[in-house]
Amino acid sequence: MSTETVDAAIVRPPLAQLGSSRAAILALRLGSIIVPLLLWELGARLGWINTFLFPPPSKILATLWSQSGPNGNPPWAIPIHVGRSLIRLLAGVALAVVIGTIAGVVIGLNRWARAILRPIISALMPVPTLAWTPVLLLVMGIDDRTTIFVVFLAAVFEMIYTIVAGIEMMNVKLFWVAESMGATRLQIFVRVIIPAIFPYLITGMRLGTGYAWRALIAAEMLAASSFGLGFMIYDASEYMNMDVIYGGVMLIAVLGFLLENVLIGRLESATTEKWGVQNER
Amino acid sequence: MSADSAQIYPLRSNGAAKPKIVANGIQKYFGGVLAMENISCTIHEREFVAIIGPSGCGKSTFLYLIAGFEKPTYGELSINGHPIQGPGRDRGVVFQEFVLFPWLTVLRNITLGLDIKGVNRREAEEKARKWIRLTGLSGFEDAYPSTLSGGMKQRVAIARALTYDPEVLLLDEPFGALDVQTKNYMIRDLQNLWLEANRTIVMITHSVSEAVLMADRVLVLSSRPSRVIADVSIRLPHPRDQRDPVLRRYEDEVTAVLSAEVDKAMNQERQTHRPYSSPGQAQ
Repeated sequence: MSTETVDAAIVRPPLAQLGSSRAAILALRLGSIIVPLLLWELGARLGWINTFLFPPPSKILATLWSQSGPNGNPPWAIPIHVGRSLIRLLAGVALAVVIGTIAGVVIGLNRWARAILRPIISALMPVPTLAWTPVLLLVMGIDDRTTIFVVFLAAVFEMIYTIVAGIEMMNVKLFWVAESMGATRLQIFVRVIIPAIFPYLITGMRLGTGYAWRALIAAEMLAASSFGLGFMIYDASEYMNMDVIYGGVMLIAVLGFLLENVLIGRLESATTEKWGVQNER
Repeated sequence: MSADSAQIYPLRSNGAAKPKIVANGIQKYFGGVLAMENISCTIHEREFVAIIGPSGCGKSTFLYLIAGFEKPTYGELSINGHPIQGPGRDRGVVFQEFVLFPWLTVLRNITLGLDIKGVNRREAEEKARKWIRLTGLSGFEDAYPSTLSGGMKQRVAIARALTYDPEVLLLDEPFGALDVQTKNYMIRDLQNLWLEANRTIVMITHSVSEAVLMADRVLVLSSRPSRVIADVSIRLPHPRDQRDPVLRRYEDEVTAVLSAEVDKAMNQERQTHRPYSSPGQAQ
C-alpha cells in the first residue's frame, strides 16, 4: 500500500499532497463504493431510474435484513444460503489445495510424473469448469458432491501450476543442506519443500479461490436443489424478485472480498510476511 | 613455484595425522566438457585446507563432490576410507549465498540438523547456544533471516553447520558475498572459531590473503580442466597476523602461481571465443 502512495507521488506530482495522507486514500477507497450507491439510492428515490429493475440499495438491504431473520422465507434464509455456499467452497478449495499441492510437488520433482501428467493437465485446464457440470450431475446427482467437485476442479489446476512453478524456483541448495543433515525424504517434504513453496501456495490459493467462488455460484444455479447463494439468485429470478437478486450479488462481492483479504490475508501475514519472503504477485 | 616443487605437509598435528579425505584421479565431465582433468590430493584429519584457483576452474565443483552433491565421472573419492556415495551428516556445508531457511528463526535454523536427527529440543538448543555465542549471534535467536545483514546470515550458516557436529566442514567461498569490511572483520573474528571447532576444514576461496591467513595448506587449482598445480603448506601458528612478513611471503608465492594461471586462462578464453579458431589453437 505504501508503495502505491510513493509511486503516485513520483508519477504525478500534483497528486502528491492528496496522496501523502493515508486518511485521504482511505476516504477515496470508501468513497468509490459509497458514492455510486448513494447516487443509485438518490436516482431511485427521485424516480430517475426504473425501480423495478433497479430497486434502491436501502430496499435491497432491508430485504437482506428481513430474510436473515426468523421471518424470512424460509426462516433464516440468508445465513443458511451463505453457510451452505461457504461449506461447499471451503470443502472444494481444501481438496484442491491438498491434491493440487501433492500433484504439483510430484510433477515438479519427478520427470516421469511430469511426462505423464503434464499433457493431461494441459488438455483439461482450458475446459471451462461448468462444462463438466452435466456429467457430474449425471454421476453424482443434484447433491453437494457435485458442487464441491466443481469447486475443486475450478481451483485445482491453478494450484498445480503455481506449485510446479514454486518447485522450479526452489534453490537446489536448500535440498543439499537438508540432505547433508541426514534428512529423510518425508522430512525434506515437510520441513523444506512445503515451507519453501508457501508463497506460491498462497498465490495459488488466492487465484484458485477466486475461480472457485465464480464456479460455485454458477454451479449452484445449475445443480443445487435448495440453498446456496447461486441457487438463491436463480430462484429469485424465477419470481422476478429483484431485491433478492441484487442482495445475492452484493453478498457474493462482500464474501469474496472477505475470503481474499481476511482469510488468505491472515494466513499470509502469519507466514510469508513474517518470514519476509512474500514475493511477486 | 611449480607443481614439481609442491610439498605436502600435514600441519596442526605432528606428522601423525590420518588421511581424512582422499581424492584419487578425479575427473569430472559436464555434458561432453571436461571440467576436471585429474585431481588427486589427501586432506588430513583436523587440517584446514584452502582451495584456490582461477574463476570457473571448478573449485566449487570439487567441494560439491566431497559433499556428495555431485558424483565424479572417473576416479575415487573417499572419506575415512569409505567411498563417498552422497551427502551425509559427517560433512557440513556452508555456502557463499548462506542458503538459510527463511521460514525458521535463527535458533531454529541452527538447531535444524539436530531436530532432523530427533534430538530433543532442550538439548538441541543447548548445543546451539554454544555456537550462537561463539559466532556472536547472541540476542538474535528469534530473528528471521530476512531481517539479518549478510555477515550475520553467514554466521548463522556457519553456526548451523557446526551445531550438528560434522567431522568435516566444507566452506564454499564463505566470505565471497560479504563486503570487504565485514569480510575482514569476520575472518579476524572467526580465526579462533576454527581452532575451537577443531575439525577438518576445506575452504574454497578466490582470495589469496584469506587462504594464507586461515589455512594450514593451500591447494592451487589450474584453469579448466583443473588439476592441482601447487600445494603450499603455511607453517605459521594460529591466530595469525595479516601483517606478518612471513605470511606476506607465502601470499606472494601463492599469488605468483595463481596469476600465471589466470593469465593462461584469460588467453585461453580469448582464443576459444575468437570466431573461426579451431580448439587446437587454444593451447
